[in-house]
Amino acid sequence: MSRLATTLGKAVPAVVFGAAFLGFWEWAVRFFELKPYFLTAPSSIWQQFTANFDLIRGAATVSGTNALIGLVAGTVFGVAMSFVLSRFRILNQLITPLAIALNAIPIFVLVAVLNNMYSITSEIPRRIMVTLVVYFIVLVNVARGLTQVSPTHVELMRSYAASDVAILRKVRIPNAVPFLFTALKIAAPAAVITAFVSEYFGGSQNGLGSRISSNIANSKNAAAWAYVLAACLLGLLFYTVSVVMESLNRKGGANQ
Amino acid sequence: MTAVSVRNVSKVFNQGQSNQVDALSDVALEVKQGEFVSLIGPSGCGKSTLLRLIANLLEPTAGEVVVNGKTAAQARLDQDYGMAFQQAGLFDWRTVRKNIELPLELKGWDKVNRMARADEMLQLVQLPEFGDHYPWQLSGGMQQRIAIARALAAHPPLLLMDEPFGALDEMTREYMQGELLRICAATGTTVVFVTHSIPEAVYLSNRVVVMSPRPGRITKLIEVSLGAERSEDTRNRTSFFEAITAVREGLRGMHAAHVGLGNDDR
Amino acid sequence: MTPIIRRAAVRTAMFVVALALVAAVWETYKAVGPEDGGTILGVRILPRTSEYAMPHVWDMFSRFSRPEVRGSERTVLDAVTAGAWFSFRLSVAGFLLGALIGVGLAVLMARFKVVQRGVLPYLVVSQTVPLIALAPLVVSWGGRLEVGPFVWPRWLSASVLGAFLAFFPIAVGTLRGLAAAPAASVELMQSYAASWSKTLFKLRFPTAVPYMVPAFRLGASASVIGVVVAEISTGLKGGIGRLIIEYAREATGDPAKVYTAIFGAAILGLVMAGAVVAVDVVVMRNRPKEAVS
Repeated sequence: MSRLATTLGKAVPAVVFGAAFLGFWEWAVRFFELKPYFLTAPSSIWQQFTANFDLIRGAATVSGTNALIGLVAGTVFGVAMSFVLSRFRILNQLITPLAIALNAIPIFVLVAVLNNMYSITSEIPRRIMVTLVVYFIVLVNVARGLTQVSPTHVELMRSYAASDVAILRKVRIPNAVPFLFTALKIAAPAAVITAFVSEYFGGSQNGLGSRISSNIANSKNAAAWAYVLAACLLGLLFYTVSVVMESLNRKGGANQ
Repeated sequence: MTAVSVRNVSKVFNQGQSNQVDALSDVALEVKQGEFVSLIGPSGCGKSTLLRLIANLLEPTAGEVVVNGKTAAQARLDQDYGMAFQQAGLFDWRTVRKNIELPLELKGWDKVNRMARADEMLQLVQLPEFGDHYPWQLSGGMQQRIAIARALAAHPPLLLMDEPFGALDEMTREYMQGELLRICAATGTTVVFVTHSIPEAVYLSNRVVVMSPRPGRITKLIEVSLGAERSEDTRNRTSFFEAITAVREGLRGMHAAHVGLGNDDR
Repeated sequence: MTPIIRRAAVRTAMFVVALALVAAVWETYKAVGPEDGGTILGVRILPRTSEYAMPHVWDMFSRFSRPEVRGSERTVLDAVTAGAWFSFRLSVAGFLLGALIGVGLAVLMARFKVVQRGVLPYLVVSQTVPLIALAPLVVSWGGRLEVGPFVWPRWLSASVLGAFLAFFPIAVGTLRGLAAAPAASVELMQSYAASWSKTLFKLRFPTAVPYMVPAFRLGASASVIGVVVAEISTGLKGGIGRLIIEYAREATGDPAKVYTAIFGAAILGLVMAGAVVAVDVVVMRNRPKEAVS
């Protein structure tokens, strides 16, 4: 009972802060009689959100699907590549500088290139972008989990004349699992953000990002922010799912 | 003149909860100026807790601690003691000299005086050429000597040490024990020293305080009379072995009592 | 050659090799791939290989030296360099602002657990708010802001948006670093009766530096993204974002040109990140060599 209370108690400052922020925002718009193009009130954003809910849900589904596909694909490729890298350490030398450079290159650069390479109605460019972003996050973390094992554990396995594959299965993989979940916690919201950021730069117009940008272009601020709200909720959803998956894994008797 | 006075001190962690620990129960101890006192006992006997109470890093649940004639809190504010831990705890980003100067910076000393005092301390621990090195360039023993130099930089009357030689090999350890005694004799510092090692406690101290756990308390005070001077020779003398035996029996007696009465309930 | 220089040279060489490999893969696919894109297992996943969709690599490079617009004196290289330099200065401003806010927030959150619990979740969520929605807000607020003689210049909006993207990784990394001081060292500072601010400057910040450097690197690239996206969505002239849009519009007639602007943006990002890495090497030269993630 008291543990539940302490956990809830920890959430109190966030709830209080959020409520106070929203309250102040609403009050400021009314008190200063701010025009919508200057600052939209939370109440009108909410009104737009409920009024256009079906449209919003449709757009969110498109972006969400792109994010999900990219998340899954990126995780699969990332994990596979990390196995390869842990086996052939020399590849590291080649891949790392490229990875660091790719990380530094702004995202829209790749988006523009990809949009050019595919037809205008294709969702593939967004999925590739998400896959890439997720791939690097997963790769870095899982590779670290596979290679940074305690030398004592490895020595123990060798004293049992265990093969490399056995060491992989019994020591490295269990060690890497928490790293995978850490990666997912970062990658899940990143996937959502990447999915709709990729939509700003042309291509198909069905997702959240393009809706937001077109509403802004038409000065429909309340509607645009309603879509923004949907984007935030989508990101939160992905993040929560990854946190839940992590805690489920922990309960299943895995490490600390 | 009493350097440290511990009066009926108790310390309880997690009071009232399921994981309550009676770390110390009704402990009393008087340490005279210039004395070297060791605290020894098995894990959980509260020796580190007692040291931290003297250092005012913890507050007692009951009783009071008087250091240098003041409350422990005031003594800490006045910087009346220096502390050394098992890990030398030097700052990686500062040179050796700047590490020694740290407490002096915090006390507001100016640069000229700080440098002079740091040089003096380097001489004292016999590492004058290493002032501009970085801690990771030094061996474990050397790092501990710098930690001691830092602890004594402000010339405090009291030195508190929590198993400072625990991470060193035996040869370095014996050498460091000799060094510590030489330094303390030169400065007249009172020392409260926590250790796991019986020979170390006997070699260094005027008195050995034997403690036992559950609840943490002092079970025996053993006077060590090996004479004022220690030398290479001291470890071979019969009186040394007799003192060790006395301490060992003090520890074992309490342990036997526990086992005999089946007190090992968890 | 000192080890540091040798390592840097090897890294650069490897990077060039990797780039060459990418170019080789590009050209190979262009040579063998289907003109109009193709399908694998029914999914239309193969890109098109026409001149428009995938210009030759050498065409992209040669485009730099030719004039920007027919009959103009200015080459593409000049235009791209000017645009990149403009955006670079905005990115630096955004990065510095973001660093100030990020570090400040981290210190506040480290000092007051309540602030951390109340604010951190919203900082995380804030990063999901699209810049496209924020950009017009910042521009219109800035337009109204007049403090004495100071009038909000249009470029400042772009820098502010750069700072918005940069402050988050910097805040998170700094917060982690500030919390990473070993307990024994914190006890030591307590034994010196040192105040929280003294402990902050003499212990926590130096301990945090290895965590702050990768955070600053992320912040630098984030600032570039923020600035360029802001340039695009607010129509700010002079920067590389503007160039990308303009050249993209002309892509049907001049497919290689947009790639030149893209290269410019990529190099901009690399330079920003590289600058942070250079500072890292200098700041950390006296520390023991250990890896911190």
